[in-house]
Amino acid sequence: MRRFSVLILTAVLLFALLLSSCTAPSGNRKDSDGPEWSSLTEESKLKLRYATQFQVTAYSGGYQLIDINTTGKFLVVPEGSSAPAGLPEDVVPLYQPLDRIYLTATSAMDFFRALQSIKNIRLSGTNADGWYIQEAKEALESGDMLFAGKYSAPDYELIYAEKCDLAIESTMIYHSPEIKEQMEKLGVPVVIERSSYEEHPLGRMEWIKFYGVLLGKAEEAQKLFDQETADVEVLSGQPDTGKTVAFFYINAAGTVNVRKSQDYVPRMIEMAGGRYIFSDLDSGNALSTVNMTMEAFYDGAKNANLLIYNSTIDGELQTMDELLNKSRLLSDFQAVQNGNVWCTGKNLFQEPMGLGRLISDIHRVLLDDIPEDGALTYLHKLKN
Amino acid sequence: MKKRGLVRLWIGFAGLLLALFVLVLWNINAGSVHIPVWEILKILFTRTGENTVIVWNVRLPRIISALFLGGALALSGFLLQTFFQNPIAGPFILGISSGAKLVLSLTLIGFLSAGIAVGSFGLILAAFAGAMLSMGFVLAISLKAKRMSLLIIGGVMIGYICSAITDFVVTFADDQNIINLHHWSLGSFSGMSWENVGVMAAVVIPALIFTFLLSKPISAYQLGEVYARNMGVNIRVFRIVLILLSSVLSACVTAFAGPISFVGVAVPHLIRSIFKTEKPLIMVPACFLGGAVFCLLCDLIARTAFSPTELSISSVTAVFGAPVVILVMLRRQKEHL
Amino acid sequence: MEYYISTEHLTVGYDGVPLIENIEIGVRRGEILTLIGPNGSGKSTILKSMIRQLKLLAGTVVLDGRSITEMTERELSKKLAIVMTERIRAELMSCWDVVATGRYPYTGRLGLLSSKDREIVDEAIRMVHAEDYAEKPFQQISDGQRQRLLLARAICQEPEIVVLDEPTSFLDIRHKLELLEVLKEMVRSRNVAVVMSLHELDLAQKISDQVVCVADHRVDRCGTPEEIFRDEYIRELYGIEQGSYNALFGSLEMRPVSGSPKTFVIGGSGSGIPLYRALQRNGIPFAAGILQENDLDYPVAKALSAELVSVPPYRIPDDTAAERAEKLIESCGSVICCVQDFGEANRKNQDLLAYAKSRSLLVEPEELFQSVKGAEV
Repeated sequence: MRRFSVLILTAVLLFALLLSSCTAPSGNRKDSDGPEWSSLTEESKLKLRYATQFQVTAYSGGYQLIDINTTGKFLVVPEGSSAPAGLPEDVVPLYQPLDRIYLTATSAMDFFRALQSIKNIRLSGTNADGWYIQEAKEALESGDMLFAGKYSAPDYELIYAEKCDLAIESTMIYHSPEIKEQMEKLGVPVVIERSSYEEHPLGRMEWIKFYGVLLGKAEEAQKLFDQETADVEVLSGQPDTGKTVAFFYINAAGTVNVRKSQDYVPRMIEMAGGRYIFSDLDSGNALSTVNMTMEAFYDGAKNANLLIYNSTIDGELQTMDELLNKSRLLSDFQAVQNGNVWCTGKNLFQEPMGLGRLISDIHRVLLDDIPEDGALTYLHKLKN
Repeated sequence: MKKRGLVRLWIGFAGLLLALFVLVLWNINAGSVHIPVWEILKILFTRTGENTVIVWNVRLPRIISALFLGGALALSGFLLQTFFQNPIAGPFILGISSGAKLVLSLTLIGFLSAGIAVGSFGLILAAFAGAMLSMGFVLAISLKAKRMSLLIIGGVMIGYICSAITDFVVTFADDQNIINLHHWSLGSFSGMSWENVGVMAAVVIPALIFTFLLSKPISAYQLGEVYARNMGVNIRVFRIVLILLSSVLSACVTAFAGPISFVGVAVPHLIRSIFKTEKPLIMVPACFLGGAVFCLLCDLIARTAFSPTELSISSVTAVFGAPVVILVMLRRQKEHL
Repeated sequence: MEYYISTEHLTVGYDGVPLIENIEIGVRRGEILTLIGPNGSGKSTILKSMIRQLKLLAGTVVLDGRSITEMTERELSKKLAIVMTERIRAELMSCWDVVATGRYPYTGRLGLLSSKDREIVDEAIRMVHAEDYAEKPFQQISDGQRQRLLLARAICQEPEIVVLDEPTSFLDIRHKLELLEVLKEMVRSRNVAVVMSLHELDLAQKISDQVVCVADHRVDRCGTPEEIFRDEYIRELYGIEQGSYNALFGSLEMRPVSGSPKTFVIGGSGSGIPLYRALQRNGIPFAAGILQENDLDYPVAKALSAELVSVPPYRIPDDTAAERAEKLIESCGSVICCVQDFGEANRKNQDLLAYAKSRSLLVEPEELFQSVKGAEV
């Protein structure tokens, strides 16, 4: 009997060994026959004014090293060059042109649009219905861009068969490490985009420079960034209006979701010359928002001069009645009585490049400086 | 009658093996990238060609995982149904998936808040540890409990407690964790690697063989505890071994693919109605094969029905599994009258 | 001869709480020991302790010279087989399969049956006369057939002792008899010892070699059936207050209807028994006579009648008895006669019949029932 068991055990172990040795040839990573890594010299560092989550260092030979906070290092190899020999293990080479990208970090699409590089994205983690960015929607509908499964269930086959050269994922991928590992096994480098971790709103916009480096459009990126921030920087010289603003939405459970005081939205409000109504909201965790009871919101925001309803998750509001249907208590609010309630467009959070214009919008609302046609970029007033 | 039983046995096993064979081929062949059959054959035998990686690194590990894990689920379900003499007992009745989810969420939240990225193997270990933890509680109850129904109640309660703690932890964690844990609770065979396959084979195959060797005491136990004891089964040891085996099997599934519903409940019933027997000598291998076939079929559907969007495997197994359970139970009731 | 299984200072109970203490019983091979006693007295507890399903609280059970607690499961399973009241599930198993589980202690690691095992199973099925339904699903046969198969299962185990817990419960009279017949046959041909509990006193009396009476959480009495089955003792054992028990026939009768008799029944040699019972059922008190005490009617009449005129065995009724009967007839106001044949020994009954006719007191049973019901309305 014992001999029998030993026999079986051996067979099992052999089988397991056999299976684990069945690893197929890995990915389409190119050989590194370029110059010796240690012989390259550091030439310059990319100047960043607000962003803190990445750094770019230019090396001789046109190589650029990107270091993304807590995520990893990537070496952008210019077209025609090979990766340097002796590249440290933890540096992943990215070969330009990067034109078969799989993008699941939705907020990055706006940067590609701004850089006129949507064609570089071959695969999307969001299907046509999910995009508010018209160009992306059209590309998916025409077949220039393919839907390759959402970030949590990527279609590996399609990604591999389309010879994808880079996957850009949001930080949600941290919780499904097996997906990142499998991608890398298939020879697809994975970049985790951390613009949402930028504390400064303009830091988020500054990620356009990151994509500029990836796409070899650093100058355009710099130009676009300067353009979009110029208006905002003018505002920073203007005096505080002293008006208070609440930025919120009411979720299905009936509690009110508001931004924490240190979040980038309150900062935008301050930059626009307003004052965020909750000055000390912080529960000590990593969340950027807080769910508070209607009672606490009533207590805190009843006298706010301006209410901005965040329509990201819940859908856009058009009329005051729609808002009051969420909670009758809101009718007591000063801003409601004065008709000073605004709603964001649903597209706002897919368009980080628009943050500057949002700040301008808020500024205009605070100053009551609405253009004749009433058209602001990201805000619209709730009708009575 | 005896001869007819034997014929049924051969036809049953031949049918299952054939179905397995066909589904494996079909699964290798189906996918969002079309690869002609001749090319697949070439890849299988020579490992060369453009699509080698897709066949070898994407499809095959997934197929073999579905095979092993499906088999493990069905086997675990069969063991628990026998053990509790309850036709709707399934692999997750002892709170195993909730325990796995709890430790998994603690690990994710703990490590990520410390700024450390967790590897997939770390998560597998965490889920397995969680499953074993809740099993430990059930085992502790089983040493005290006289009636088996108490164990089920214990398992369900442990499940509730674990879910509650998970909820609590999630409430005070990062936004994104919530979405992910929700995703995790549905289960998927996606993204399996050969390393994963190696580990699950090393767990599932010995468990399968060991269960097969336990066929005799299991058959005695089917008559009831009193008779089993009279036939010389050490009930105490037997109980512990049975809980351990079924838990290790379902913990393995949970760790690699998340909780997959209904396979463990439905497949043993299906197999029973095919083979018309309860003999563990037949049921153990047949359930394993049946589970493998069932999961391969469901995974094929999950993968290809709305490609490239992938359905969660549990939604497919539930759609196929739930009616099966109802039908089989109704038919059995008729037979009893 | 030595006891094959015996208990010494045995205390049994649940969860460490003693239920019955100091049990000393034993049985030899080829004998049947039956436990009788009221519900809840602890018969099953004793049996479960003897087969090691319950922990012994004190004392020992000695089986074939060794304490059962020292034996391995396997050793015990080759010596001792059981038929318990627990319903077995046995889903999708044929009767043959269920019987074959008895071979468990003798089969190899995977439990595969050898051809010799198969022969033993077939033989056990023949022994309980279950050949006809051996291939049927176990779930689809009757309770009686089921018990027989479980007995066959026990036989398969080739035990030296079989323990049965109320094997005849839920069976109809025919199946009860057949089962015990098979049991007796097994004891004789295989020389096994049997310990069982039974509810049916009449059956216990007939099949047992030894009887143990359990009542009020103690072993009240042990002995041969002849020593145990006495009217008064059984009444006391079961606390019977409402009826009567006839130890010789093992039959129970209900309590007589109280009140002054409304009719006089002339009976004898069994002819009156159905009427006595009908009258009792209908709540009509009656008088009966004239019966010799060895008459078949006598035990029932004695148990059910309000007044009874009887004479000692083998005596011809005399005038005193006849006069008493006539007086009763007067007070009853009606007479029913069940007897057809008259001879030397029941001449007085013939006289009574003539007397009743002459006074037109003779009625048919139906008339009586009608009139009593009419009176009630």
